[in-house]
Amino acid sequence: MNAKIDFSKISFLIVDGDKISAQVVYDTLAYLGASHIQRVKTPNDAFDVLRREQIDIVVCEWRLRGMDGLEFLDVMRNSTNSPNRFIPVIMLTAHSEMKYVTTARDLGITEFLAKPFNAKALYSRLVSVIARPRRFINTGTYFGPDRRRRQVQFDGPDRREL
Amino acid sequence: MTHYDWGSGAIVTPEEPKKKKNVQIIPAQTDLKRRAVNFVKGFDINLSPEQLEELENVVQRSTETFVRDVGKELMDCRKIVIGALGDKSRRPEAVAACGDLAYSVKALGGTFQYPLMTQIAKSMESFVADRTTANEKQLLVSQLHIDSLYVILASRVTGFGTTVEQATVAALTKLAERYELPRE
Repeated sequence: MNAKIDFSKISFLIVDGDKISAQVVYDTLAYLGASHIQRVKTPNDAFDVLRREQIDIVVCEWRLRGMDGLEFLDVMRNSTNSPNRFIPVIMLTAHSEMKYVTTARDLGITEFLAKPFNAKALYSRLVSVIARPRRFINTGTYFGPDRRRRQVQFDGPDRREL
Repeated sequence: MTHYDWGSGAIVTPEEPKKKKNVQIIPAQTDLKRRAVNFVKGFDINLSPEQLEELENVVQRSTETFVRDVGKELMDCRKIVIGALGDKSRRPEAVAACGDLAYSVKALGGTFQYPLMTQIAKSMESFVADRTTANEKQLLVSQLHIDSLYVILASRVTGFGTTVEQATVAALTKLAERYELPRE
């Protein structure tokens, strides 16, 4: 028997100033059965919603008005005012170059989805966030999901212990 | 500090005490998984090709909205650029408008089967990136990008087009490189 995901049990917040992009994500989530989906255009509105309501997953665009998606993520992960430091954040962006992926990863992104995206790619990120949660790492310089996704045999010194 | 080891008769240096770990590993939050993953209700974790196709159709439902909205944005942006050609004070606004438009089209073109638009928008985005203003020729280069995007959208050229369209993309990229400087 195949494992399933009941999306009606999960609440989503879409943070995207682009009407069409937000609509595509909204339609996809609604089709999957999610009934609690909020849409906002700016990070400030997102913080208001996050402080007011129980949100399980944030789907956020990088390019936003005022504070950009990265600053939003930084506040979420590292600020003492953060409504939820552990909340999974899926970052959508048309900046797909490696340097952007690395920057987002090092600020504690849960999943990264390059635009233009298709339904399969979005679904796989949702599955990953829900069904394969990662442990969190807290060091002096990083707070976020474990960036080591694969366990590879390594004989050198463990840098986390240095 | 070294000391004399009576057993072996050697001078030994004790090992440095291990530094305390400066990392905290917090177990994964499994609340979502517990709530949503089951064997009865919902969508399979591994979707079948048919289910994926259905999901893709949901995305494609917004294609008409994309064509209509981007068409309007292209026209608006073109007006701003043309206005800026004769009015230097409006050039920063025109550059910002081109940047926003380029990002938006680059992000969504491919999703709605217009990867050619994504290619052109990418060229336009690199061209206007880190600019606060533009000279006349640079505005004309931006305008050419906008016109090409409009033609593709109006003619509904989905996919990567023919060799003609690919040659147009290459020409636009070359043009953008040629008039890249000054970048101010």
